[in-house]
Amino acid sequence: MKDENRGQGTWKSIKTIVWLGVWLFLLGRTGDCGELTPVTYRLKWLFNTSVVGDLYADVHGAFARQGIKVVVKEGGPERDSIKEIELGYAQFGVASADQVIRAVAKGSPIVVIAQLFQVNPLQWVYRTDTLSFDSPAAMISFVRGKTLGLTYGGNDETIMRTLLTKFGISEASVNVYSVRYDYTPFYEGKVDLWPVYVNAQGIVIQNKLEKAKERVSFFNPDELGVRFVANSVVTSQKMFSEQPDIVNKFRKGLIEGWQDAVALENNEKAVSVLQQFDKDTPVEIIRRQLAATRGLIKPGPESAVGSIDIPAWKQTEQIMLDQKLISVPIHLDNVLKPF
Amino acid sequence: MKLKKRQICWFSNIDGYLIVMQIECHDISYQYPQTDAHVFEHLSCQVTGPGFHALFGQSGLGKTTLARMIAGELTGYSGQIQSRQIAEVLYAHNMERFPGWAGIGDMMASTMQASGHDMLNELVNAFGIQPVMNARFSQLSLGQKNRANLIRYLLQKFDLLIMDESLANVDETTRGRIIITLKTLFPEKCFLYISHNMMEIAKFCNQIVVLRSPCKHPQTSMISGQNLMTENNFVMKDLEQTMLEIVHAS
Amino acid sequence: MLHRRIQQFFLVYFLGLLSLLLVKYLLNLSDYVIPGPVEIWQTCKSVFARYVFNVLDTLWIAVVGHIISIILAFMVGILGRHNSWIGSLIKATAYSIQAYPIVAVAPIIFILLGDGLITRLLIAVMICYFPLLLSVIGILSEPVDSIEHFYVSTKRMNWRLQVRIRAYENINKLTTVIAGSATMAVVGTIIAEFIAADAGIGYSIRTALYQSDLSKILTALFLIGIGTSLYLTGLEWVGNVIQRKCQI
Repeated sequence: MKDENRGQGTWKSIKTIVWLGVWLFLLGRTGDCGELTPVTYRLKWLFNTSVVGDLYADVHGAFARQGIKVVVKEGGPERDSIKEIELGYAQFGVASADQVIRAVAKGSPIVVIAQLFQVNPLQWVYRTDTLSFDSPAAMISFVRGKTLGLTYGGNDETIMRTLLTKFGISEASVNVYSVRYDYTPFYEGKVDLWPVYVNAQGIVIQNKLEKAKERVSFFNPDELGVRFVANSVVTSQKMFSEQPDIVNKFRKGLIEGWQDAVALENNEKAVSVLQQFDKDTPVEIIRRQLAATRGLIKPGPESAVGSIDIPAWKQTEQIMLDQKLISVPIHLDNVLKPF
Repeated sequence: MKLKKRQICWFSNIDGYLIVMQIECHDISYQYPQTDAHVFEHLSCQVTGPGFHALFGQSGLGKTTLARMIAGELTGYSGQIQSRQIAEVLYAHNMERFPGWAGIGDMMASTMQASGHDMLNELVNAFGIQPVMNARFSQLSLGQKNRANLIRYLLQKFDLLIMDESLANVDETTRGRIIITLKTLFPEKCFLYISHNMMEIAKFCNQIVVLRSPCKHPQTSMISGQNLMTENNFVMKDLEQTMLEIVHAS
Repeated sequence: MLHRRIQQFFLVYFLGLLSLLLVKYLLNLSDYVIPGPVEIWQTCKSVFARYVFNVLDTLWIAVVGHIISIILAFMVGILGRHNSWIGSLIKATAYSIQAYPIVAVAPIIFILLGDGLITRLLIAVMICYFPLLLSVIGILSEPVDSIEHFYVSTKRMNWRLQVRIRAYENINKLTTVIAGSATMAVVGTIIAEFIAADAGIGYSIRTALYQSDLSKILTALFLIGIGTSLYLTGLEWVGNVIQRKCQI
């Protein structure tokens, strides 16, 4: 009798444990269903003004409103979002156009879903007092005999070589200075034109030289007809074709974020977002950087934020072909996926 | 008092008093750092006059420690160590090595006085290391190493040479020959020989300081040795008596 | 010795390359992420001659930097071998400077000295000098009582003799440390070039990285490996000759 009771008790315990397991399993399943699917978005550079829209979308819930969860990850010189997408560590990323074209030329299965910068922020800073010109053509002629800062292997080298070729300036007639992390050679006047991101370091340099009563200006290759596309948003072909819903939601959220970030009425909110992520830059510099960024993302009232400038992409491809950075054209139609 | 010619060196006359070569330890107490145990407690002893003297005792009683105190290499003890007519004290031990970049002959020559060549040749022959004078120290046997090391000390200026196991690993016959050579060649010098070979000490040493355990008082005992100048010319009974005295003193 | 070292390097390098290719084909990665063997071979052919000169350029800076480091380490090591105030100051300074990552210090050096040869040399020296110095100080401050006792007792000891005794007694350690620091000198030079020079294989790697060109980087790594192996073999040979001479 006693044994029977003990047997019943054991059976009861087993049943309780099984039910508890089933209940927990179902609870876990339900929890999964309730959560947003996280996707990783790898930026091209460190958190600064150039990524304000990405951060704004994240902080102000633009992605959440689309029903997706996005993990925004900082970029850097050693990061390559295209490689991360291909290896599956990220689903979306920011890459420059030359990076995209080079990757596609080597068989990387990626597509461009948005173009962030409508004007390339990579420009050359120069002292207005030492270099003056009335027109871009005059400026080019002025370049002869001057010392130009170039990052060998970088975008600026490609752009400057294109400019020199376009205007018939032999490389022998200019002095090339290999650019470093620090701007001392420019401050010291050893280099006349120094490549900078006009909305980031450009403002810092301008601010510093203004304090020293020196005036600087920026030389924009775009004004001379060299349109080399900069940061764009990429994803994998697989993601684009198999999960168009997530891609569209991500793109919508991102564009919304960028639109809001560069809208004048949201200026202080955008500054506040940047301050949250970029604690080292003084707020007055952030404000100036944001103003400069606004003109690159939405150069005119009609410009659509995120729109893909196909002629500019074609020119970029052509430049790379001319400079033998790629050997064959890459069929941009298959790569560029505008709205 | 009439002195023999060779004794003149180790006695000196100051204001009519004769001062003899002497090393005296008075009321020495010492314990090793970070230990409670005393090595010496009110130890006193003395060795007087030139010649071949000994410091004898069982292992661990502090022979080397006392030798290093006398040589001035160890401080931190209480009591006094006084020396008379002894200006230069050297301490040689059997763990020493020569630098390896040259043969031992060259190394000896580089550290001896200019007038020491004849003495070097004499010692090398007496010590039986002539065949290895061009060899590096590492190529020598343990006995050869000790003999070579002793030679270079003997070529230095000294009044007292403490030989701490300096003839270890040397065969008995050669050891006896070496000790007699030292006594013959350096009659005006003082040697303090540390060895565990009781017979050798009893046979060749003049004054034998027997070191005893710190729990025994006095901690040293002085025995007179046979102080032989030849190897085989001794009376066995006398030698046995000396050895017995050493055993009883220990 | 050279044959064996090169053989070992080839084995390690090609195993690494094989693993990369295996990952490429297993994960079906594009040539952008990991280039195919044909591309690697073609890139290698096209840049080989240029990179050989770049490696030689790097190597000679590394060798000069290494020699300077050895001389400096011995000079400072001799001064700092006593447990004196200067000795402990030198040790503390060496430890502190070694704790700083050179990539953080390098930009300051470039600002002060520009981006020429001197800067590359200085960074190479900095990277291999401090570990070398600590080893040299460690070796030279350790008394060899069994040898030094006689010279101290007879008042013949001077600093030259002391250094000679200690260096001789630790010749195996010293040659090992010197050979080991050679690799650091090469690494230091490459880092310097990578950060801010306009010559050398480190600079070529930086340019290749801008272009995401792994083929070029693989070629550069191959040549750096060969160059370093040659230098290390040379050093080992010199070390063996010295040790043999010491043992005669």
